[in-house]
Amino acid sequence: MERSELDRHLLEFIGLLRQGGISVNLTEVQDALQGLTLIGLEDKSRVEGVLQCTLVKSVNQLSWFQEAFRVFFAPPEAKATWQKEAQEKVASWEQGIAKTREELRFQGEELNLTEEQIATYLSLPEEEKERLKQFLERSEIGTRNGVQLDHSFQPVVERMFHGSLEYWRRKLGEDMALTPPGEEGLLSEVQRAMRHKELHYLTKDLKDIPPEEWPTVSKLIRKLTRRLATQVSRRLGQGKSGSLDMRRTVRENLRYGGVLLKQNYRKRRKGKPKFILLCDISGSMLKYTEFILQFMYGLTSLVTGIETYVFANHLMYITPKLRGAQTFQGMLNTTLGDLVDEFGGGTNLAVSLEELHKEYGNTLTRRTVLFILSDGQTLEGEKAAFYLQKTRSKVREIIWLNTLPEKKWKDVKALELFQAHCQMFECNTLAQLQEVLKKSPGFV
Amino acid sequence: MKLTMSLDEFEKELAKVGYITEKEDRIALTAYLAIQLEKPMLIAGPPGVGKTEIAKVLSQVFSAPLIRLQCYEGLDENKALYEWNYQRQLLKIQMKEEGLKEEDLFGLDYLLPRPLLQGLMSDNFSVLLIDEIDKTDAEFEAFLLEVLGEFQVTIPEMGTIKAKQRPFVILTSNGERELSDALRRRCVFLYINPPSVDKEVKILRTKHPDLPDKLAFQVAKAVSVLREKLTLQKQPSIAETMDWAKALLVMGKTELDPVWVDATLNLLLKSKEDLDLFYREMGAEKLIEETKGM
Repeated sequence: MERSELDRHLLEFIGLLRQGGISVNLTEVQDALQGLTLIGLEDKSRVEGVLQCTLVKSVNQLSWFQEAFRVFFAPPEAKATWQKEAQEKVASWEQGIAKTREELRFQGEELNLTEEQIATYLSLPEEEKERLKQFLERSEIGTRNGVQLDHSFQPVVERMFHGSLEYWRRKLGEDMALTPPGEEGLLSEVQRAMRHKELHYLTKDLKDIPPEEWPTVSKLIRKLTRRLATQVSRRLGQGKSGSLDMRRTVRENLRYGGVLLKQNYRKRRKGKPKFILLCDISGSMLKYTEFILQFMYGLTSLVTGIETYVFANHLMYITPKLRGAQTFQGMLNTTLGDLVDEFGGGTNLAVSLEELHKEYGNTLTRRTVLFILSDGQTLEGEKAAFYLQKTRSKVREIIWLNTLPEKKWKDVKALELFQAHCQMFECNTLAQLQEVLKKSPGFV
Repeated sequence: MKLTMSLDEFEKELAKVGYITEKEDRIALTAYLAIQLEKPMLIAGPPGVGKTEIAKVLSQVFSAPLIRLQCYEGLDENKALYEWNYQRQLLKIQMKEEGLKEEDLFGLDYLLPRPLLQGLMSDNFSVLLIDEIDKTDAEFEAFLLEVLGEFQVTIPEMGTIKAKQRPFVILTSNGERELSDALRRRCVFLYINPPSVDKEVKILRTKHPDLPDKLAFQVAKAVSVLREKLTLQKQPSIAETMDWAKALLVMGKTELDPVWVDATLNLLLKSKEDLDLFYREMGAEKLIEETKGM
């Protein structure tokens, strides 16, 4: 292969890596080129090795790299097939949009709908589509005060469509991408392959994981929570050399006649943090029940001394029940029986936090890191924010793991109030949980 | 230092010192590239897969001294780079010698070079191992960037010390903390997974040539089953596999049996939680059964 052609291929491959979130800088490109020159291009496995060790710098990026390499260096026939499939998908998407625009007309005039709204319409259940179509048909021939409706009624129809489609967009949007498919065949193939790998669990919304996949996912959760446990124990015995402690140094060295032979340094040492876990088990969180239970079990079995509470309308202290359980199933048997009435109720964080202060106030200290796992949809938001502020003043940090996607936080007014008193992270996938736990040294 | 040998020859050199590599693990390839490109080598992977061992082996292959900096939280420049021999300086001052100047107290005689400076000041090629870099603070990592970028340090009282011979730097990480992009970009990266059964058998046969073939296979397979099927708090390392095999060898065993698995399991699983998990979810008999099924 000529050098210029090698450069071009390499840059195209790096483009594919970048689309997967792997950032590659110029020095790394040079390293890869030098490496290839040194090792040669005869052995495909070695070429992959050279590119991997020079372009990928984190274990999280390895899966994407491996799939990208497989796809990019696949035989031309396979690449052509993927490209064709991607183009067909795009064509089918465009056709669907165009057809729907034709269908949704009011007295011959196209309705003013965005592409996303039309995509939502396309994803609707058939009966809902039919209902909207019938509404449109009836409106076209409808009358007001005995007079046939004309074009001036179109904005009313559009508003009704906007409202209905917005409702469905919210409902469906969490589950499916309402965006057009990519035209890039190789990229689509890498994305498809990634969905079949372990990483797929990391990026999948936890409420969508089917029961048969939970054993694998629960292993991953335990792996992730272990990270927190090890960080905690690592901080135990170690202090940090800081500035010279003159007072102690002078006192220590009096025995040497004031000659400063031994120096003492101020140690900056954080006490071992205590964890409190507060899990929301109200109706809006029902879909995350499995995740909540696995997370509670993972943390309780790995992090010693953690206190666990659940709340919906009020607070329940469940640590003793969790501690007694040796297995996940055991935990379910001992705790679920008591919790079954609480699951699915309304949410009142204010009452729950108030109870936390009143009944378990002694657990809130400067050593406490409070984890809240909730979507933040609660009654008495302002009161809850007041109690959250009160809690924050007593503890080291409050980490809020919010299962609601961040883009929707603006729709829940109370969340804005809560964010002022805690660090809030979107957390509805394992990848997001992993990111939060990676940041844990900063707050434990 | 650049190597004059090819990658194949380098792989043979590793084999000569008893280090087993496989094409799939890419250890030889990455080490070779790191040396040729004169880049530090960042090795990540779970504990006990042999990250530190690579540095030891490479120092053997190059007959170069291994300088090791063990990282921990709170490690600072004084412990990693240099410190003045404060007591000696004081004694010198108290001797009240005629014509003693301030600069006399800041010479090499009063300097205590720590591992990083030792690596830079070494006259000959050396292997500098910065072990468990993920345990240090972000500030130390930033400081390290400076040293690894230029291979020189400035000591205010003495001036700049430039590496006489660039050491080959190996950094290891257990992934407890994400390292900065800047540090990762400067390195050639290697991720090591726990060894395959075949590789672990080869390692066992190399380290314990007397080990019966059947026992070596069973031990390697059993450890692989434990790593894969149980969510252990601490997975058995290669060193622990070797200890277990050696213990069984000393006891004159030629194959695994449930009684001896029970008796020696604490060489592999070293916490009560892991042992409880093993007996709850597997047990010795099932473990042996699993090794047959693989």
